[in-house]
Amino acid sequence: MARITLDPITRIEGHLRIDVEVNGGSVSNAWSSAQMWRGIETILKDRPPQDAWIYAQRFCGVCTTVHAISSIRSVENALKVDVPLNAQYIRNIIMAQHSVQDHIVHFYHLSALDWVDVVSALKADPKKTAQLAQSISNWPGNSETEFKAVQQKLKSFVETGRLGIFASGYWGHPAMKLPPEANLMAVAHYLKALDYQRKAAQAIAILGGKNPHIQNLCVGGVATAINMENLATLNMEKIAALKALMTETRDFVQQVYYPDMVAIASIYKEWFKYGRGVVNYLAVPELPEDTKNTKFALPGAIINGGDIKKARIITNHQDLDLIANIKENVSHAWYEGNSTLHPWDGETKPNYTDFQDNGKYSWCKAPRLDGKPVQVGPPAQLFAAYAGGNEKVKKLVDASCAKIGVGVNDLHSTMGRLGARAIRAHLMADYSLEYLDKLLENVGKGDKVYANPTEIPKGEYKGVGFHEAPRGTLSHWMVIENRKIKNYQAVVPSTWNASPRDDKGALGPYEASLVGNPVAVADKPLEVLRTIHSFDPCIACAVHTIDPEGKEITNVKVM
Amino acid sequence: MKTLIFGAGNLLLSDEGFGVHFIQYLQKHYVFPPEVTLYDGGTLGIMVSHMLEDADQVFLVDVIEAKGEPGDIYRYEKDDFMLGKLPIKMSPHQIGIQEVLALSEIRDRCPEKITLFGIIPASYEAGAELSPLLSGKLPGLAELLVAEIVASGTPVEKCC
Repeated sequence: MARITLDPITRIEGHLRIDVEVNGGSVSNAWSSAQMWRGIETILKDRPPQDAWIYAQRFCGVCTTVHAISSIRSVENALKVDVPLNAQYIRNIIMAQHSVQDHIVHFYHLSALDWVDVVSALKADPKKTAQLAQSISNWPGNSETEFKAVQQKLKSFVETGRLGIFASGYWGHPAMKLPPEANLMAVAHYLKALDYQRKAAQAIAILGGKNPHIQNLCVGGVATAINMENLATLNMEKIAALKALMTETRDFVQQVYYPDMVAIASIYKEWFKYGRGVVNYLAVPELPEDTKNTKFALPGAIINGGDIKKARIITNHQDLDLIANIKENVSHAWYEGNSTLHPWDGETKPNYTDFQDNGKYSWCKAPRLDGKPVQVGPPAQLFAAYAGGNEKVKKLVDASCAKIGVGVNDLHSTMGRLGARAIRAHLMADYSLEYLDKLLENVGKGDKVYANPTEIPKGEYKGVGFHEAPRGTLSHWMVIENRKIKNYQAVVPSTWNASPRDDKGALGPYEASLVGNPVAVADKPLEVLRTIHSFDPCIACAVHTIDPEGKEITNVKVM
Repeated sequence: MKTLIFGAGNLLLSDEGFGVHFIQYLQKHYVFPPEVTLYDGGTLGIMVSHMLEDADQVFLVDVIEAKGEPGDIYRYEKDDFMLGKLPIKMSPHQIGIQEVLALSEIRDRCPEKITLFGIIPASYEAGAELSPLLSGKLPGLAELLVAEIVASGTPVEKCC
């Protein structure tokens, strides 16, 4: 038996350590350990609730808008504030565009190199690459000239010994199996994707005033004034720019990202068998279409044991069973005691020990729903929408599965999670444009209201802001007392998924997904990265220190 | 010349947010012409690569891991911190700034002049304020950087 420690897992946000025990070429036990203290919520104590979202969107490096949305919703939920339709549509566009940007970056820049061998791309015939690319998509950028130029550029980088920028890529690993032409196609799209994630960022900035860190939220709506004739507001010129950007990004997602994903999944089909793990799922409803958060485009659901047919559909954000049954256990986390507390009563009292296999080993608490570990993320949202009868989701999921040659139940897997992100990006790109049309239609009818200005009253109030973010269900929990924040807890998608064991010994989703995962070469555990990256880990608090003197900090320890 | 001043870091972890505090300090005390962009880049890494690609010269301000005392400021030019010299180095974060710049090079979009001003932090505690030590370094670094922009032919006024 070999014990492998990967510390830190690279190409993620934050600092995550994964330990696995390998027996006869496959993982027999696993530990997921968040290596960074997460007491960031304590900063919010005693601040005005209406300002919390500004701080909350700095919780994380990449998921800025999602924390802003969740935070503002927690105040609106506590005070039962209606959100005007225009504000809902504007927020929906921001959320959908953020998802598109996030999924593009995740697929190409954070996970593709687990599947794509950059060195092999040098052996590709650019002409055949163009033929391959044109056979799966009619995107105009797929030309022989383009692929040839990318290959030349790569060659010059390899010659100067600088290929390391693609970061500890496991070139030539036996688990890499794309033909050179597919590798070259993927590398070219990897470079091109940077232009399109940017367009999504620009779209968010037009609506949010700034990106990163949107500026346009307020309790009861948005601060985006709408007046088609005014230069300083959201006017026809800005709408036209927004529409152009969102259309270009949609085309990239639907004609490049999505077909690339389908092509890669078809070649790595065995990865629909690995990485299953916890198949209890949670997704909350998202994309509200009324002012009271009771009607949503995408329903949520609680799914137990992977049984999509028996999903309990969640239709709104006031679901009392859901609100009551989310709790966090700290038996194996570096906090005092072994309590299981509801987020409104949540405590953050650090108690660091060293890494103890059977004791405490992570800064991540263990969130549980009805006492059970739960997986969140794009598969959960698609399963929920599928079960809840959303026709768009059903059509996309069925078509993707048919193209790849798998069934819906194969999506409980490493490749399923990657595929679900591509499907979700496809969906969100469409929803972005749909909500822009709805916004224009509503404004055209004469509805100019974009906020219900709200004063924070005296007294005690509790609220929860649910949001189905790109990485899954996010909830911010706020207790307000006399116009100030008394307690604040964020239960984020990565704490659901990166959770350590709980008081009953149940493994968290990352941990469970690794059991049974193959590992061909112990000191190059590429397959472990594949499964962990498929969750798009984002360990909640971001640090951004540059290390110009260049210690080599990636460490794979094999004992 | 299009100049980008890029402040990086997490505002909620005291000195880790130095780059962002620095941008706020510049906004408060100086008036820049339109060809200078002050950018609060947070901790986004690759998602803000386009900001770098759009500029002719870039000044990055961030905390660094280096030998020395908290509050020490080091200056690095592009060649000092590009990954070319360090082929297997990897940021523990999403994708480090060095990789972002190298990707821009492959895309032929990397600006010629990139200068990193890196400061050694005194505190990573949760908190939206800088430590007094690093807070005291803001005016000096601002003067230094502004003088350099002025020397490159771009006028900048001090307002208060």
